[in-house]
Amino acid sequence: MKAYINGLGAVAPQETLDKDHFLDQVESYNENRLQIIQPNYREYINPKVLRRMSKIVRLGVVSAKIAMEDAGLDQPDAIITGTGMGCQVDTEKFLNAMLENNETLLTPTAFIQSTHNTMGAQIALMLGNNNYNFTYVHRTFSFESALLDSMMMLAENEASNVLLGGIDEITEESWLIKTRIGYFKFDSINSLNLLGDKQTGALAGESSAFFVLSNKKTDNTYAEITGTSTFYKPESIEETQERISNFLSVNKLSPDSLDLVILGYNGDPEYDQLYQNLEETIFNLCSVAYYKHLCGEHDTASAFALWIAAKALKSNTIPEIIVKEKKKQNSPKNILIYNQFRNINHSLILLRQV
Amino acid sequence: MEELIEQLKVQIIEQLNLEDIEPDDIDPEDPLFGNGLGLDSIDALELIVLLEKEYGIKIENPKDGQKIFFSLKSMAEFITENQKN
Repeated sequence: MKAYINGLGAVAPQETLDKDHFLDQVESYNENRLQIIQPNYREYINPKVLRRMSKIVRLGVVSAKIAMEDAGLDQPDAIITGTGMGCQVDTEKFLNAMLENNETLLTPTAFIQSTHNTMGAQIALMLGNNNYNFTYVHRTFSFESALLDSMMMLAENEASNVLLGGIDEITEESWLIKTRIGYFKFDSINSLNLLGDKQTGALAGESSAFFVLSNKKTDNTYAEITGTSTFYKPESIEETQERISNFLSVNKLSPDSLDLVILGYNGDPEYDQLYQNLEETIFNLCSVAYYKHLCGEHDTASAFALWIAAKALKSNTIPEIIVKEKKKQNSPKNILIYNQFRNINHSLILLRQV
Repeated sequence: MEELIEQLKVQIIEQLNLEDIEPDDIDPEDPLFGNGLGLDSIDALELIVLLEKEYGIKIENPKDGQKIFFSLKSMAEFITENQKN
């Protein structure tokens, strides 16, 4: 299975809309929640339609539109999105109204906008697109599942161009709940000091990243995705190492031949030690990067990592801010993105320069 | 009546998230749907809920909706009439 990234667009807690800059001016945050930098939505969305869209839907539509324009594509053959938590703002709004009004007087807008597939649906409505439209909701496998489906459609020639996206938002309530159960840090830190913090829990975040994946290269191609894989609850670090090595081997690579591996360090020492172990063992010869100090932890954070990797391969640049260990001086040809969520969901995405 | 119309303007702007519209932009006699304020069928549902929630008025016959929600003025008249009863 092969797929070329021919266009991309992202909205994140960093400046991502300016094509002339690639993470060279970085925003740092002193609260444990990294929120996206809101674009001027009116530049992208008709104000009449805008009023019914919550933040996450706006983000999805904006980043999808940027990716489509970047690829010079009018209509995709499929729209495939991944989201771990979906439209949380409208879900909370709807559920709170149910509680406050004793399950009566429910307004339609929040309900319509609260379903997980709202982003995919709104993009299709905006484009007038009646093609295959699917949303995957599998926690931290959501984006990877959407990616796998996209790659299979391209491989089976069921589509020539797929609009693929990964998107999640953080709300006040979900942030408080996840902080209380220990998923997010309690005391504030500076986001750029993510790796030095000893508290348990990650930094919370949100982002939206969309890609036009195609079965043909164009002048605008960023990179080729050569493989993706997921595995669930490995029994030991040795099993994790073996699964990663096997995945690379299937793709005719070894850990040593990778130029860069992008790891999902999220600041939680309990689970970051898994990445540290891999850095000291199978990845001991390749350069290492991380990215969640820029976007925070969320179920589809690997979509933002893919945005970074694709831009790095096209521009032959690895932004200094993501570098953790520089062991190879050459510009990257192969990049592996490895992410895991609390040692439960593990995912791999492999890219190469074209 | 004028006070009620001003109150309705604020409530409608908030409930329907009419981001670019100020209360003074709405002419009480202009149609709410179509060429006037440009509302649609989902907004109609929101307005039905607003009437019930804020004024305790239920619309018994859906056919009356077109007349009641023609303009802000007609809405205010309907509220005044039904609150008296």
